[in-house]
Amino acid sequence: MLEGLVSPENLSLSSMDMNVLERLKWLQQQQQQQVVSQSSDNSPELLQILQFHESNNDELLQSTFSHFQMLGSCFGPSPNMGFGPSHEAMDGCISRTSSFQMVPVDTMGVMLKNSEENRTISSKNKRKSEVKRREEEKTEKKIKVEAETESNMKGKSSMSNNTEASSDTSKETSKGASEIQKLDYIHVRSRRGQATDRHSLAERARREKISKKMKYLQDIVPGCKKVTGQAGMLDEIINYVQSLQTQVEFLSMKLAVLDSELELAVEDLYVKQDQTLQAYFTNLPVVNASKPSIMVDVPLFPLDQQGSLDLSVINLSQTTSTEAPSASWETQSRSLFNTSSLGFHY
Amino acid sequence: MASADKPINTDVPEKDVFTLHFLQSLSNLRRQNTFNSPEKTNDRVKKIKKAAYVSMARAAGGTNRLWSRALLRRAAKENSKVVRFPRRKKRVTCLRRRRSNRRDPVEEEEAERLRNLVPGGGGMETSKLMEETAHYIKCLSMQVKVMQCLVDGLAPK
Repeated sequence: MLEGLVSPENLSLSSMDMNVLERLKWLQQQQQQQVVSQSSDNSPELLQILQFHESNNDELLQSTFSHFQMLGSCFGPSPNMGFGPSHEAMDGCISRTSSFQMVPVDTMGVMLKNSEENRTISSKNKRKSEVKRREEEKTEKKIKVEAETESNMKGKSSMSNNTEASSDTSKETSKGASEIQKLDYIHVRSRRGQATDRHSLAERARREKISKKMKYLQDIVPGCKKVTGQAGMLDEIINYVQSLQTQVEFLSMKLAVLDSELELAVEDLYVKQDQTLQAYFTNLPVVNASKPSIMVDVPLFPLDQQGSLDLSVINLSQTTSTEAPSASWETQSRSLFNTSSLGFHY
Repeated sequence: MASADKPINTDVPEKDVFTLHFLQSLSNLRRQNTFNSPEKTNDRVKKIKKAAYVSMARAAGGTNRLWSRALLRRAAKENSKVVRFPRRKKRVTCLRRRRSNRRDPVEEEEAERLRNLVPGGGGMETSKLMEETAHYIKCLSMQVKVMQCLVDGLAPK
C-alpha cells in the first residue's frame, strides 16, 4: 500500500530540497528508538515511546513494520512493538514510514521526505566515505557512537542522512527515556559540496520556513498555483494585495457617492440599524430611536471620530426620526440589514 | 532555531463582525456636521476609506496582529498630528547587515515591495511578513465583500 502511494510521488519529485525541520524530527525519533532499543528491550521507556508513536499512526505503522520485519534486523523486540528494528533496516521505505509517523497531517512534509529518500537511494555509495568524513568534522557535536557502528555494520544505513544542526530536542526527549536526553546535538551531515557552517544551516532552515509559508500563501491567493518559483508567486501576491486595496478605495468612493444622495434618512437608518445590529450581537433589548445614548458611545470608537461628536446634530436627526412612526423605521432598517446579510450568502 | 512548527493560524472572524464595525464607524462619520456636504467629495472618500481600514483592523484582530496594530497606530497618529510615523526599519537592516550575503536578492526585493504594501511590514522578518500578509489578505477580501454588499444594498432600485 505504501509503495503504491509513494512511487508516483517519487517520480514527480525532482528537486533536491530537503525539509530540514522535518528531517530533524525524524532523526530525533530515529535516535530515540535506537537508544531505547539498544539499552533495554522491554524497558518502560520503550513502551512509553512506542505508545506515543503508536497513537499517532497505528495502521500505517503496523502494516509497514510487519512488512519490514521480513527484511530482517538486528534488534529484536516483539513484533507488535517493532519500531527499533525496522528503523535499522536500510530501506527508503522505512524512512518513509517514520516520515508518515512523524507528520501524519503534513503531506508536504511527506513529499519532501520522499525526495530525501530518492537522494538517499541515489547517494548510497557516497555514504560510507561521508560517514568517516563526518566523524572527523565533529568538534562540538556529540556523536552517538553506537549508532554509527551499528549503521556501519549494517552497511546501507540512510538514517543519518540529515543536515540539520540544532539543539532543540527538548520536547522530543522529554517523552523518551533518560538516555535520550543526553542527545543535545543532532548529527549533521552535509550534502556534498556544502558547508556544515552553522550559518548556512540556519540559513537553509530559514529559507525552508519561508518557502513553507509561501506555499500557504499560494493556497490563499487565487491564480497563484500556475506560476512557479518564488519570485513569480511573490509578484502575484503583491498584485493581489494591490488590487484588493484599490477595490476598497473604489467601493469607498461608491459609498461616498451613494450616501450623499440619501442624506439624513440614511443617517437615521444607520442609527437604527446599529441598534438592531448591536441588539443582535449583544443580546440587548432594542432601544428606541429617541434615545441617543447608545450612539454616543465614545469609548468604543476613539479612532474613528475625526472630530468631537456634535450632539446638536444627533438631536436634530433624532427628532426627525421620532416624527416618523417607529414601526416603519424598524422595517426599513431590517430590510437593509436583510439585504446586506442576504448578500453574504454567496 | 528549528523549533516546533506551529500551524500557521490565520483565522479570520465572520463577516458579521466586519459589518458591525464598519457600520458603526460609518454612522459615527455621518453624525459629523460637515460630512454630507456635496463638495469635498475627496475628503469624504478619504474618511470613508480610512474608516474602512480602521474598522477592518479592529474587527480582524485588534492588537493581536502586527499589521492591525500598525494600522491603528497610524490612524491615531494621523488624528493628532499630520506627520506620518516613520517606518521602523531598524531590525530589518540589522539583520541585513549581519547576513547580507546570504539573502536572495530577488526575494528581498519582492519582500521589500510587500513590506510597503502591508501595514507594519517594515519591522518584520521575512517569514513573519508572510504570515501577516496571509492574514491581511484574508481580512481585506472580507472587508471588500462587506463593502460590496453594503453598496449593493444601498444602490437605488
